[in-house]
Amino acid sequence: MDFLGFLITQCLNALSQAALLFFLGVGLTLIFGIMRIVNFAHGAFFMLGAYVGYSAVQVTGSFWGALVLAPLVVGGVGAAFELGILRRLYGRDGNAFLMVTFGLTLVMGEVIRLIWGVAALNVPLPKLLSGIVFILDEPFPIYRLFLAGAGIVVALMIWQFLERTRLGLLIRATSQNAEMVHALGTDVRLVRSAVFGIGCGLAGIGGVFAAPLVTASLGMAPNAVIDTFVIVIIGGMGSFLGSAIAAVLVGFVQVFGTYYFPDFALALMYLLMLLVLVVRPGGLLGKEA
Amino acid sequence: MNIRSETTRRGVLRTALAGASLAVAAPTILRHALGETPIKIGMPLALTGPAGEIGQQMRNGAEFWTEEVNASGGLLGREIQLYAQDTTGDPATCVRKAQEVVERDGCRLLFGMVLSSEALAVVPKLAEWNAIFMSSDNGDGRLTGSSFVPNFFRANISGPMETRVISLWLRQAKYTKFYALGMDYAWGHNSVGVFKDEIAKAKKDYIGDVFSPIGTKDFSTYITKIRQSGAEVCFLVLQGDDNNAFLTQAHEYRLSDKVQLVTSIVDLNSIHAVGDASIGLAGSTRYVFSIDNPENKAFVAAWQKQYNALPDVFEGEQYQACKMLQAGIEAAKSIDPDKLRPALETASIDSIKGRVAMRACDHQAVQGGYIVRVEKPAGATTPVPQIDATFPGDQITPACRQMTFNS
Repeated sequence: MDFLGFLITQCLNALSQAALLFFLGVGLTLIFGIMRIVNFAHGAFFMLGAYVGYSAVQVTGSFWGALVLAPLVVGGVGAAFELGILRRLYGRDGNAFLMVTFGLTLVMGEVIRLIWGVAALNVPLPKLLSGIVFILDEPFPIYRLFLAGAGIVVALMIWQFLERTRLGLLIRATSQNAEMVHALGTDVRLVRSAVFGIGCGLAGIGGVFAAPLVTASLGMAPNAVIDTFVIVIIGGMGSFLGSAIAAVLVGFVQVFGTYYFPDFALALMYLLMLLVLVVRPGGLLGKEA
Repeated sequence: MNIRSETTRRGVLRTALAGASLAVAAPTILRHALGETPIKIGMPLALTGPAGEIGQQMRNGAEFWTEEVNASGGLLGREIQLYAQDTTGDPATCVRKAQEVVERDGCRLLFGMVLSSEALAVVPKLAEWNAIFMSSDNGDGRLTGSSFVPNFFRANISGPMETRVISLWLRQAKYTKFYALGMDYAWGHNSVGVFKDEIAKAKKDYIGDVFSPIGTKDFSTYITKIRQSGAEVCFLVLQGDDNNAFLTQAHEYRLSDKVQLVTSIVDLNSIHAVGDASIGLAGSTRYVFSIDNPENKAFVAAWQKQYNALPDVFEGEQYQACKMLQAGIEAAKSIDPDKLRPALETASIDSIKGRVAMRACDHQAVQGGYIVRVEKPAGATTPVPQIDATFPGDQITPACRQMTFNS
């Protein structure tokens, strides 16, 4: 294996990892930006995405169908949760949200266990994505290329959505000064529900994308929620661009760190976080609290 | 005459009443018909949590046996009752639940305890509880070694026996260069260490190893390392989600075109979870539905009839443990631990895995070991494990109360 081939394939691996991390991190950071709450259930929405994706593949027979259906269902569940429960808690301190979203994680875990059972589920890839390409004689899965590409496309779409649409404008405005937006005659509560739904839907897409790589399983939620927090803390709470940069950084650190220092595979991501927090306590692009 | 007709009428009434109650309350009547006292078996085991999948299988196996025995008139004419309790896989909870089934429910016989850490926490209490524990899945070699207690019996293949099967198989195989990937905790390091020793004894080339943290999701880097090592065989000590993630991604990178993947556990759940990504995988298994003997064929047929599925590894292992306990109870004609213990020590059964004999010196059941290879026969919808090699019990069982092999 020559070095250039190794370098290119590892960089692509890192980018595909970054894409998965980005889907998780960006949803959480959007929610935090608007609502100033930490959604502990984000990992559970990610897991729900994987399971709904599994069923969607079973029903529609198509992975593409799952990519459309799962975020809609997961986003819907998220929005319903905001409307039904979270809405009653605004005005209380942060602990209430921590408790209720943590509770939701447990409830969702059990509901998923009841519906889909304990066994891990296989989500097969469509033929188009299951092949390999050769990069300088190194086999590389097409799916990972697709994943990296999808990450970039979704990031651009979110960016354009935030910059160019009316809802995007409202979201940015609400994250800066919710009371002013409210005073100018916008129903801020509706913006909150929408953002919570969109954030959860993004986690749901992440779940569908991850399922063919790791299978849909009950261990997904606790694993994902830790990575997500690391991304959001490195990027800066509430910063969209920050979470994108953090996802890429963490992706590269994980892939190359594991290769050169396998004994410290787990520690490297946290070392990166520590380093960022020492230099910029609010995260790379966050406001220093 | 008068009196006589009176008696007859009473007799008729009595019969009618008995018939009616038999019809409406069959289980109660059955309980009486099967003797006054049921045989109560406690089963503290993880039904939820990471080990829950194995625990559910063990409970299925025990319930299947219980129904089978009760339907055929019970054991020693007594009904069997199972008391399953969820431990979530936590040793402290397991001790508490075991104590509950012993002291509150009056169980003197125990099954269950999915994790070896749970079993190791429970065995020191068995003498005090005057209870016998028949293990169906605990792998830790210490249970029949340094932590041995007289009331513990192991009907299943132990961890050291499992590794031994693989090493004997690799000795006779054509491969010469080996690499290993293990989960970064006690079990992973322990098994990889044993494997390394065995490769050295076989005078073959051990290139190196790498350990992945528990919960690793992206294995691309580890796959790259395995490819670069130039090994012909990679030995895997992975389980649960990590195992599924690795196999799926190894398939993505077509790793098995270049390297033979060998695992310490092949089970249907993980084959089902990863689908075609499991094809080509080889490894040892504690039980597989395709074992060819009359007992197993009957078992698999009855199981399929009841559950409409094939019995998985721990379902088969649990059924064997149940049959072993049954043989002991039938020989002792009692469940009193003092009478049952000597009977179990000499118990020997024609099991679904062939001849299985309990050994008196350390209470380890001597039995054959299997190597399977996952294949997808033409026309099949899912891959299935096929038996590749079988090793007799005397070759794979360590000396009494030992965990390692001398040659």
